[in-house]
Amino acid sequence: MKEPTSVGLGEQAISRNPEDILVAYGLGSCVGVIMIDPVSKVSGLLHAVLPKATDGFKDSSYKPSKFVESGIEQLLADLIHKGAMKSRLIVHLVGGANMLMLSGVGSFDIGNRNLEAAYAVLNRLNMQVTSADVGGHLGRTVRIYVADGRVTIRSAGQKEHSI
Amino acid sequence: MEDTTSFDHQLLKMLQSIANEGIQNVAYGFSDMVGRKIKVGNPTGKLVPVLSIPELVGGPDDDAVGIYLRFEGDLDGQIMMIVPTQKAMELVDLLMDEPVGTTEHLGTLERSALGELGNLCGTFFLNSMAKSTGASFRPSPPAVMVDMVGAILDIVVATTGFVSEHVLLMQANFMDGSRSVEADFWVIPDLIALQALFKKNMGS
Repeated sequence: MKEPTSVGLGEQAISRNPEDILVAYGLGSCVGVIMIDPVSKVSGLLHAVLPKATDGFKDSSYKPSKFVESGIEQLLADLIHKGAMKSRLIVHLVGGANMLMLSGVGSFDIGNRNLEAAYAVLNRLNMQVTSADVGGHLGRTVRIYVADGRVTIRSAGQKEHSI
Repeated sequence: MEDTTSFDHQLLKMLQSIANEGIQNVAYGFSDMVGRKIKVGNPTGKLVPVLSIPELVGGPDDDAVGIYLRFEGDLDGQIMMIVPTQKAMELVDLLMDEPVGTTEHLGTLERSALGELGNLCGTFFLNSMAKSTGASFRPSPPAVMVDMVGAILDIVVATTGFVSEHVLLMQANFMDGSRSVEADFWVIPDLIALQALFKKNMGS
């Protein structure tokens, strides 16, 4: 069996190869955005780290997929380029946990801000979220089976389940 | 080392020396805490790319314990101590002076012991940094989390916001007789403040 394609921090992957499994390991405050076209069988996964790029980030190391806002726009454009149709896309959101919950360590809740950014940009693009496994305090690993568009999630110390 | 970061060679040397001394200091604190002589072996300090952290710790999907604290003062930054869950349970055994394998899960007591250890390591490390640089810092209380390595490291990655693409990694073995437990520490200081501090210390 083919090794899963690991989508690391600030990366995206798109595939229409039925043997492919796209996986984002250990999403904490990061957000995994999944878009699947069930007709053309093309799937995409974005592993975004921060809500949006501020001017300071737009230097040589700038990459749209690091950020929720620019990452979703790029993922959508690349999927359409690979034959997906926007109106058919099934969208799942995963991650955006609040990893720090102790007092005194501050509560700059990046997970929540990432989710807000994701809903805002999807709303602007007129796209509905089909399912969301988000928030809470635990990390998640998400897998997309390109062959049938199945999506599974596993949290630390728990079993993998389909959404 | 290729200087692809805003760190320069001298700064890295200073950080390494602080790291070595800091880790020795941690060993003293650790010994005091458990009331036995704990040695620290092979302390190393190096700069590593933030994005390579999950691979260095194992896999991003593996379970681990993260002990996190922030510090503020003349320099702001954060420290993350990360230990694979199995090793963390061995650390608890070592802290409690129990035979290896006694601790089988991480409940409130165990997490609190690990938090205390992180607190102690952080404080001793910061003391050593304060001594070397003449600056003062106040650490926050520790936060302990048991989760996937990737999820724990999101805290580090998200708060550095890719501004610092590299972090200071320190690794050491804690040894009690023949028992040895490895731990990694990540120190992520505010780079601009660190450079200013460094220049001041060079007397230039």
